Amino acid sequence: MDMSRRALLKVIVLGDIGVGKTSLMNQYVYKKFSQQYKSTIGADFVTKELQIDDKLVTLQIWDTAGQERFQSLGSAFYRGADCCVLVYDVNIQKSFETLNNWHEEFVKQAADPADPGAFPFILFGNKIDVDGGSSRVVSEKKAREWCASRGDIPYFETSAKEGYNVHEAFLCVAKMALEGEHEHEQEHEQEHDIYFQGISETVSEVEQRGGCAC
Amino acid sequence: MQEPDLHDLSDDADYAASLQQGSASMMMTRSDSGKSTSSSVPEGAEVVYLKDNVTIHPTQYASERISGRLKLIKQGSSLFMTWIPYKGQITNASLSERDRSLYTIRAVPFTDVRSIRRYTRTLGWQYIIVVLSSGLAFPSLYFYNGGVKEFLATIKQHVFIARSLEDANVFLVNDFQNPFQRTLSSLELPVSIASRPSASVSDGGEYSSYELQGRIDGSIHEDIPRPSQNHGRQKHKSHDPARDLTIQVLEKFSLVTKFARDTSSQLFRESNSNGYGAIERKSSSHSPPDIPHEASMDAKVAPGEGPVPSDPLEFDKMTLVWGKPRQPPLGSEEWEIFLDSEGRIIDSKALKKRIFYGGVEHSTCKEVWPLLLGYHAYDSTYAEREYLKSTKKSEYEIVKQQWQSISTEQAKRFTKFRERKGRIDKDVVRTDRTLSFYEGDDNANVNILRDILLTYSFYNFDLGYCQGMSDLLSPILFVMEDESEAFWCFVALMARLGPNFNRDQNGMHSQLFALSKLVELLDSPLHNYFKQNDCLNYFFCFRWVLIQFKREFEYKKTMRLWEVLWTHYLSEHLHLYVCVAILKRYRNKIMGEHMDFDTLLKFTNELSGHIDLDSILRDAEALCICAGENGAACIPPGTPPSLPIENENALLYTQEEDEVL
Repeated sequence: MDMSRRALLKVIVLGDIGVGKTSLMNQYVYKKFSQQYKSTIGADFVTKELQIDDKLVTLQIWDTAGQERFQSLGSAFYRGADCCVLVYDVNIQKSFETLNNWHEEFVKQAADPADPGAFPFILFGNKIDVDGGSSRVVSEKKAREWCASRGDIPYFETSAKEGYNVHEAFLCVAKMALEGEHEHEQEHEQEHDIYFQGISETVSEVEQRGGCAC
Repeated sequence: MQEPDLHDLSDDADYAASLQQGSASMMMTRSDSGKSTSSSVPEGAEVVYLKDNVTIHPTQYASERISGRLKLIKQGSSLFMTWIPYKGQITNASLSERDRSLYTIRAVPFTDVRSIRRYTRTLGWQYIIVVLSSGLAFPSLYFYNGGVKEFLATIKQHVFIARSLEDANVFLVNDFQNPFQRTLSSLELPVSIASRPSASVSDGGEYSSYELQGRIDGSIHEDIPRPSQNHGRQKHKSHDPARDLTIQVLEKFSLVTKFARDTSSQLFRESNSNGYGAIERKSSSHSPPDIPHEASMDAKVAPGEGPVPSDPLEFDKMTLVWGKPRQPPLGSEEWEIFLDSEGRIIDSKALKKRIFYGGVEHSTCKEVWPLLLGYHAYDSTYAEREYLKSTKKSEYEIVKQQWQSISTEQAKRFTKFRERKGRIDKDVVRTDRTLSFYEGDDNANVNILRDILLTYSFYNFDLGYCQGMSDLLSPILFVMEDESEAFWCFVALMARLGPNFNRDQNGMHSQLFALSKLVELLDSPLHNYFKQNDCLNYFFCFRWVLIQFKREFEYKKTMRLWEVLWTHYLSEHLHLYVCVAILKRYRNKIMGEHMDFDTLLKFTNELSGHIDLDSILRDAEALCICAGENGAACIPPGTPPSLPIENENALLYTQEEDEVL
């Protein structure tokens, strides 16, 4: 195993108010779900260490406020992002429609202006558990069409509440971020030897249930 | 018309030399002493706008206002703005050369300007606030003789300028792109504003030489950078006003800290008289003051960490003298003493002072909060308050009816309403739900929270609903236990905090900027550390400021803090001193662990629930007193939560007829 380098991968999670951004992150990192998360003010992030192939990576997942009014602030945190996760609520049409806006704004300010299409995005359709799917208003087909129109963005249907597909989705995020990651590699530091012991996650553990093409 | 001496030209030239703004601005400010004003403009440059008696208000005192001349200068395809204070104005007798120089605006190119916010009003002076793309803002410029409209119209002739879609009084300069890029650039605060030699925290963790000198010498005074010392001073032939101001303040502090040290030593010797609560605080983590200086400084450096530049204020000692011990909250019996037989507050200042030092017992909050918030007047009687309560109740119902009468069918064609309601619905169900008052499914109080917020978004339609408002309302409803009363208290609070939620984020930017100036004043090594680590945007304090520390303390403590802040007893901006106090508490950790921006943000977020309110308030009080007028001068007039100047808050959010564009 190559232990000599570790990568810090910065991931930004964007989407409308209350689509479940914080819940998805907490489900992924802490395997917990709470009905009582508070709205995110400003920004925050969580980190998770994982191993992809022979590579140890630290995923730094940034949570931002969902109201457009704070978009200009959020952008301050986008610097150096390796991947952008867009989230909508499959039960709320509006949260799907505003994806265009989130996508566009992020591309404008964070992606390489020479090749904006190259920046790795991924889409999560969250809350598929609600009412057993009967209150759903955005079909999977529609979502996949949108993804296709944006340069074949990988798509995952998730439930942060049930923990469904969350792990797989974020693993895809990590792989995509790692692929494009060049600048954040850090020299391996001694103390991380201990830190990474016991992490057994590997790619083979979770094979592609969603649409990750990595 | 008087023709005051306009230019302190040698100063301009020196300043320009210290800047790296390219040849254009160098030319603009080139020394041309002895010539008339017009000829001081370099060849090829043209004054396209000139207005006299444009004034800044560094403090609320009329005697300290500084008048000057505002000019727009065109050179080639570039437009520059200058504002030079008049020299030797009789009314400004107390104005020092330093202050004059500090506020001078020297040839700012419009490529560096992000936006201009205009404040026009039927009564009182028009003024503007110019915000740079770095996020910095100049103090408000008051046009005593009018001319804002012409000013903007002139700019429009030379520079691309567009009216903000969100706020008709905001004019965006060079807005070719989008809000993202503007904010992105605000991460890179320019070095020019605070261009003075820094007490560097190098990676090797070495003390810069003057600090080392201070350590060897063992004298407090030597810790303080002095003009005579030789750190890059060659470049600043005359003086750097920002630096000199800081030095002067620090020198003042050094006297204070010496006093503090003497006093606390004395307290230790007089073992039993613990009037300042000094002993318990001292014994916790810091060495006794009698121990020589070097030893106490070493004690601050945690093992395994690099040494950290020492606190120029000897902050821990200072607070013992200047921050008074906290008192128990104001109870109902004591409250009665403040009232006359008809319910008027006899001495509102005394009441505010009492609350400042102790807060209010929960049972008494319902009577006191409406006064603190300004919903009721201090000189109102019981009867008048009851009357207002009933008239305001019907007024509330009328506004509430406005959205309640929207039918489902109508709502289908009313996107803005549906979106607002959707946002509020999402937020109220995740606001303080662990508190029994808001706990459980179908909680009636959660519904009231929603109704009030929705009604407010109609009452103040331009501002609407923004995340964070539910956090501010929750304790108010909890205390008032009445929908209409809670609404009007919230309205009063939003008169002050509404700008926190402005779409252009100006209210937040101005507070965070003032905070950065306060840290620069009160802890320059920490300021330098933030500067070197790209942290000067202070976004790691965003949540603290936006919702007044609501997420940082447990519920009851937050309410205590708010009461103290709402007294405006020492300052309307005590919350900024609270921010400084918290940062100073952890300054050694922040610098010792070399926190970068990300780590710092995570660190401040995770301080939630771990800050001791009483000691932080005491620190904040001490900082506020010691900073005095220099601290107040860091905070431009109109910075939230100040009420808008001239108190015409009705105009704050209104969109005016398009006059210029």
